[in-house]
Parts: sequence; C-alpha cells; structure tokens
Amino acid sequence: MKTARDIGLLFQRYLIQLLRNPVWLVVGFSTPILYLALFTPLLRHLVAAGGLPGGNVLNLFLPGILSLLAFASGIGPGFNTVFELKAGVIERFRVTPASRFAILTGPILASMLLMFVFDAVVVAVGTGFGFSVHWLGLAVLAVLLGLLMIVMAAFSIATALTTKEISGFAALMNGINLPVLLLAGVLLPISLGPAWMRVLAHFNPLYYLVSASRVLAAGTLTGPAVWQAFAVLVPLCALVLAWATRVFRRAVA
Amino acid sequence: MNPMDTIITTTDLRKSFRAKGTGAGRGGPEGPGRGEGGQQDGRSQQDGRGGRDRRGGWVEAVRGVSIGVAAGEVFGFLGPNGAGKTTTLRMLTTLLPIDSGTATVAGFDVASQPRQVRSRIGYVSQLGGADELATGRENLILQGRLYGDSRAQVAPRAVALAELLDLAEFADRRVSTYSGGQRRRLDIALGIVHEPEVLFLDEPTTGLDPQSRANLWDHIRGLRDRGTTVFLTTHYLEEADVLCDRLMIMDHGQIVAEGTPRALKQQVAGDAILITLRQPDRDAGRAGPVLRQQPYVRELSAEDGQLRLYVDDGGTALPELIRLLDAEGIGLRSIAMSEPTLDDVFLRQTGRSLREEGASGPADSAAHDSVAGSPAAGDPAASDSAASDSAASDSAASDSAASDSAASDSAASDSGPGGTATGPGRKEMAR
Repeated sequence: MKTARDIGLLFQRYLIQLLRNPVWLVVGFSTPILYLALFTPLLRHLVAAGGLPGGNVLNLFLPGILSLLAFASGIGPGFNTVFELKAGVIERFRVTPASRFAILTGPILASMLLMFVFDAVVVAVGTGFGFSVHWLGLAVLAVLLGLLMIVMAAFSIATALTTKEISGFAALMNGINLPVLLLAGVLLPISLGPAWMRVLAHFNPLYYLVSASRVLAAGTLTGPAVWQAFAVLVPLCALVLAWATRVFRRAVA
Repeated sequence: MNPMDTIITTTDLRKSFRAKGTGAGRGGPEGPGRGEGGQQDGRSQQDGRGGRDRRGGWVEAVRGVSIGVAAGEVFGFLGPNGAGKTTTLRMLTTLLPIDSGTATVAGFDVASQPRQVRSRIGYVSQLGGADELATGRENLILQGRLYGDSRAQVAPRAVALAELLDLAEFADRRVSTYSGGQRRRLDIALGIVHEPEVLFLDEPTTGLDPQSRANLWDHIRGLRDRGTTVFLTTHYLEEADVLCDRLMIMDHGQIVAEGTPRALKQQVAGDAILITLRQPDRDAGRAGPVLRQQPYVRELSAEDGQLRLYVDDGGTALPELIRLLDAEGIGLRSIAMSEPTLDDVFLRQTGRSLREEGASGPADSAAHDSVAGSPAAGDPAASDSAASDSAASDSAASDSAASDSAASDSAASDSGPGGTATGPGRKEMAR
C-alpha cells in the first residue's frame, strides 16, 4: 500500500520531469518517425528487387520499430540515474522512508507510459502508410514491450549505479547497443542471416520480442514465437528487477 | 551529559572501503557520489596520503568514532577533506552500512531500525539534490509527501518554510533559476519539511559567497532556536567557531579533540604572535635564536620571512618583543597578536594546519576562509559579536582584526588582516 503510494508519487514526479524537457520529447517522438520515413522506402526497394519476401513491408518493419523503441526507452532511466546520482537526487530520496523499490520503479513506469504514447504515434502514422492494425495482437504486444522495457530499464539503472560515471555508462550501453540490435532482426529479419547468426540470436532477449512482435502485429495471438517471448521475458524481468533492487539498496552508498 | 538529553550516540563507529586503483581516485573515504570538487578532494586526498590508513587494500575511513550529541545543539564536525566526516554522517543517516560499532539517532538504532531513523531525521548532502525542472514549492510538497503526509498537510508547511527561509518570492520559479544561496536554502527547507528532530548538514556553506554564508548561519541558528538539533560537517574554521555550540575535530578517521569552540581554544595555552621581518634575508637567521632565548616564548616556527611564536601572555610579551628586536637592530614589517584559533588546536593535535587543506580546495572559498577565519576565530569577543549578528559577520571579522591591531598598539600590518598568516605556502609548525 505504502509502496504503491510511493511509486505513484515518484512516477508523477518523473513524468513531470520528462514533460518539462522539450529536447528529450522532440527527439523521443522524431526518432521512430524518422526510422519509418527513411527506412521503409529502402525496404520497399529491397522487396521490389526480390531480396525480401513480398507483402507490405510496414507490417514487417513497424513491429520491429516498436521493439526498438522499447529497447531504447529502457536506456533513458539509466542515463537519468547517472545524472541524479551526481546531482544528489537519489541520495535525497534514499534518506526518506520512501520504499526503495518505489524509488527504482517510479521512473521506469513513467518512462513506460511515455513509450506507449510514442508507440501509439508510430502505429497511427504507420496506419496512414498502409500498416494493417490488429488490435488484440497489438494489446498482447504492448505487454511484451512493457516487459522488455522494464528489463532494459532495470538493467540500465543497475549499470548506472555500478559505473556511476556517464562515460563508463555510455560506453557500456553503446557497446551492447549494436550487437543486440543487429542480432535481433529489428531492421532486417535474422532469417536472412547465416546459421551461426541465427543461433547467436537466441541468446538475445530482444530477438524474442521482435519475432513475437511480427507474429502479433499480423494478428496471430498464439504460436511458438509468442509463448517463447513470454517464457524468456517474464523470468528475465523478475531476475533483472531483483538484481537492480539489490544493487540499489547496496551500491548507491 | 544526561543521557535523556542525548539525541545522537555512537560508540566505536568504524567504516572501511575497498581501496580503489590509482586510476579510479573517485570517491575516496568520503564516499562516492559527490560533486566535482569533492571528487578532486578525494583524489588529492588519496594521492597525497595514499596508503596512510590502508590495510590490505582497504581504506579505514572512520576509525572508532564515539560521540554524544545533546538535543537542541548545533554540533559540528571539523576536519580536512577526507577526514571521515562525511562517511560518519552517511552512516548516521542510514546511507552507508556500519562496519562495526553502534549508532543511535533519535532513540532508534541506525543499523536495525533505519526506517524509524529516516522518518525522524533530515539530511542535506553537499549536493543538495533538488529537482531543477520543478519549482521550489513542488520540490517541497513532493519531499513532504515522501514522508507519508498528504498534500493538504504539506502545502501549508511548504508556504511557512518558504517564508522562514526567505524563499517565498521565488517559490513558484523553477529551481534551475535559483542562485547558489537560494538553492542552499531550498535544500535545507527540503531537509526539514517533515519537521525532523535532527537535521544533518554536510558542508552546508561550501561554495557560497560570504554574504550567503552568513545568511545561512543565521537560518541554521534559527532552526536550533526552534528546537531542532543540527549536526553539521565543515572544513571552515570560522564556521565551526562561530556557528557550532560544540564540536569535534576529526582527522584520519578519528576524533582528535572535542568541546565548545572556546574550551578547545583554551586548551592551546597562550597567544600566538606573528612577526614579519622587514629584511628577512638578512635577519631571519638571527631573529630565531634571539627569540628562542626568551623565557616567555614557548614555541617558535619560521617560514617565508615570518616568525610564528606562542607566548603565555601576548599583552606583556608584545612590547617586550618589539623592544628586544629593536635593540638587536632587527627591522619589523609587522607584528600581530592573535589568541589561539581552532587551527591552532588542529595544529597541536595533528601537526598540520587545516588552512593548508583549505588552500588545496576550491580556490575562492579557501581564500575566503583563510582571511575571514583567522581574525574572527582569533578573538572570542569578535566571535560572540558575530554570533549575535552574523549578517555583519564579515565586517565583524575585519573589525575584530582592526581592534586587534589597535589593542596591540604597534601591530601594524600592510598585508591586510590575516592575509600573511594564512597563505597557502605556510609551512607546518616545527615541534
């Protein structure tokens, strides 16, 4: 009860912080739109040239963008943690009786809300360009997107608490960014890659989300890709959250 | 001290940190997560005295601190950067686990009842940590609500606090527009929005200009007068002297002296006299032995053409010294007397001067501290007048220097009050 109240307070606080940062908002909105605007034509040509299976490329590509957005949204709270650590904000909260779990999850949930707003914009824009919407599929996908976002956010916050410096944190995040994206098939299906790549992709949580997102966006609610994504993301989410809470209790020292 | 009146008690508090590699000087024993200044201090601290308190890759930041703080007093921790002040503070405020020893704050054990302790204390770190994108009022209301109160309960308190700390005018402006002093006052307001029994302040006036500093002291005294116990750390001599009812001097993780500022200064018997020679190159070698022969000269140190000596009674020694040096044909540029300062106490206990530590810190604040610290600290009367009217503390400080000079008739000084005595280049006293 008290934890829920604390989460609410810190959620609200962080949301206000986000909304008062116009640069962040503009970049947050424009990045997925730019992906759509700049990458979709490329894919269309690829289909025309016979390099990709036919059909509407947006149906293939847009779910990937949503997954990418979930991944990127999770890194934001980590950057913010480094900043707030430096500014003494986290210490100010830690010395209050506020729940430690709430201090960790309030910002994550606020970022998630904003992510869903961005998602809605991407879907709306995509629909205008021929993306076929399957509401039920998108609803289930939203759950998966939220799960991955929490995994990434908890991971990035724990990393931020451990590295404590923006340079170390940024380097680490950049370091994992590229391989995780490439091995997830966000931009191009991993099925186009060689066998070793397809094997390696199975160690990448984002891969499961991307695979499931394509199935779900197409309106199929069952199927191996969907349950596999849940089977990977639910325990992973619990694990990373527990780890981050532990790091939070200890490492902010 | 009556145990009923004791609000903070610790026995043999200890804390060690795993020593970081030389590359990672960040976050020395004072604890990580501090501002740039703090980090630099931590680094220089490690570079300068690395290995001092190290045992097998561990740095002993706090080495057996036992304290008792009475309810309703302003209690200070004075010491150089890296002495372990912040680490002790962070243990008392539940931010750092305690290695060994016990600590009780407001009737609860810090290690086993952190939640109860947290709801009864306020803490203002060196960094403050207010939300820049929020207004002062929004910050205050959120902070109050994190202590479990409703918005309706907190809102009037936020108004009253803004009034109390002279923030009302800009309570609805974003914190990013605040000046250093305004921000510091907001930090303190955030620390007391839940009306804690004890307020912990870590280096509350570091980086503030003299006026803001004096203003903040007034506010801190105001809190004390309202019944809040204030526990603060500082490396400013003047702050410790003028603001604290009682203080402990800390060095290398240990308490080296404890008492009221006045009592501490009285421990250093006698007065200090500072002599600047007109022709140091010629006379320095000669003046030392001559002065040392005098029975009333207890200790003497020489550096940079200056001689610093301790005598039993400055009032009688001063004219004698002038006559003596005159008879020897040794020319004086200036001679000045000061009663012992807290720096003299620190010097006696540790063999080092606190001012040197200050000098290695942020340049402006250190310079200010050196200049203002010396005369005010040197004259108990001045301390008292500054205490009762600290808005004028700076002028009080220079006034005291002036009256000092006037009292000791011939004490001419062409280098400004305290200026020569406290240069960064000043060496440690030979003992």
